[in-house]
Amino acid sequence: MLFNFREKLNSSKFLITAEISPPKGVNVSVPLEDARQLKGIADAVNVTDNQCSIMHMSSLAFSKLLLDEGHEVIMQLTCRDRNRIGLQSDLLGAYALGIRNICVMTGDFPSCGDHPGSKPVYDLDSVQLMELVRKLDSGIDFAGNMLDGGTSFCAGAVSGIDPEKTLQLIKLEKKVRCGADFIQTQAVYDVGMFEEFMESVNHLEVPVIAGLIPLKSLKMADYMNRNISGIHVPEEVMARMKGASDPLEEGLLIASETIRELMNLSRGVHIMPIGSHKNTPRLLSMAGHSLK
Amino acid sequence: MIITSAKPFEEILELLKNEDYIFVIGCNVCAAKLKTGGEPEVLEMCRRLEESGKHVVGWALPTAACSIRSYETLLEKNDKLDEALCVLVMGCGSGVSAVANVVDLPIYGSNNTLSLGGSSGGKLLSSQCVMCGDCTISEFGGLCPKAQCPKGLLNGPCGGAVDGKCEVDSEKDCVWSLIYERLKKIHRLDLLYTIHAPKEHAFK
Repeated sequence: MLFNFREKLNSSKFLITAEISPPKGVNVSVPLEDARQLKGIADAVNVTDNQCSIMHMSSLAFSKLLLDEGHEVIMQLTCRDRNRIGLQSDLLGAYALGIRNICVMTGDFPSCGDHPGSKPVYDLDSVQLMELVRKLDSGIDFAGNMLDGGTSFCAGAVSGIDPEKTLQLIKLEKKVRCGADFIQTQAVYDVGMFEEFMESVNHLEVPVIAGLIPLKSLKMADYMNRNISGIHVPEEVMARMKGASDPLEEGLLIASETIRELMNLSRGVHIMPIGSHKNTPRLLSMAGHSLK
Repeated sequence: MIITSAKPFEEILELLKNEDYIFVIGCNVCAAKLKTGGEPEVLEMCRRLEESGKHVVGWALPTAACSIRSYETLLEKNDKLDEALCVLVMGCGSGVSAVANVVDLPIYGSNNTLSLGGSSGGKLLSSQCVMCGDCTISEFGGLCPKAQCPKGLLNGPCGGAVDGKCEVDSEKDCVWSLIYERLKKIHRLDLLYTIHAPKEHAFK
């Protein structure tokens, strides 16, 4: 039997990860309840770090709450709000509290969120943050000082999936060179494009978990296409959403078909629904994913 | 060139609401080029302050407001400074500070200081350098991502750029796209594969 996320990464199991956001406030019951729906379904739960630069409870604190409920968590960590001292100090704290998986990323700019005037930090970028994690793992800090006990993180990073974006691919390669254990991607709607992406990163030999955001409406699909970098909802999917009598259901059906196709292409899927995980268990059973 | 923008006149009046007998100091370098502190702007400022009921005792236009030798050198330009009860500097933040170093009067600045930029082909270039004190600009074909990327990313673009435009300002080119084009032009795309260490922010 497989126990933790790292062991599962090294197995042949098709992995399910799912995104949960900490609350904006101290009432944790709603997101904890939402996460309970993922029990026995998700191999790990990603906990967002002030996503879209909108201030929420810390990823670290909420990860610990999820851990206490028996979830396997992947704590997300952005470069936006902390310098190298803050990042290391939170990573040591997270490890001491039992958090073993992290996923590092640059982080949206503050002007995207609800505190647009806050100072953007970005002391490190996501490549350097990955390097920092590996230093902590080796028992020294980023400045080369000995630690009284190092970490041993299973650390992932994120990527877009457009095979045409050379700079993104080079950056992904750097993340892997710095020791990324896994990659979670931007949402996939165009499986053909994802297949090309996988071909172009095949040489990196890193497990890739494909992102998935079930569509809820034609408007949402249109918004994604226009505004979200790296997301491409193909014409055929747009047409299906347009013609659907129940767009929510059609979105789930499309997502389930995408999962089926991804089973042959990626190491897993990372489900990031807009709103709650109410439909996630049904989505996975529609996709024919057998529970662990 | 230090890029400045003029504060709205109403804001300057508010700053000076408890002041009178004002001496105005411009700057004949960057601020003059940007029309935020050259002679025409200084004269216009004096006129508007007078119109608003303030007394302007005089004005001076040193070559560079950020490079003032002494109080006496300012007096040589205009001895009315001796009659002033406060000074309004129409330069960058550095100019205001340099004047404050030699003039023992309340000092006000009429501009907002934005970045270290320049101009090329008649086009104003903002934020070309952040003066990190640890220059590696040649690694990027002569375009500094620390200065031109809002996130200062040294190892490649973030995931937010759309069609080569910046996530933060869709009017602005993503500097990483520009760096790519530059490096391609000079046959140094190999530089894109370097893993860059973070800047060392030594206190300067």
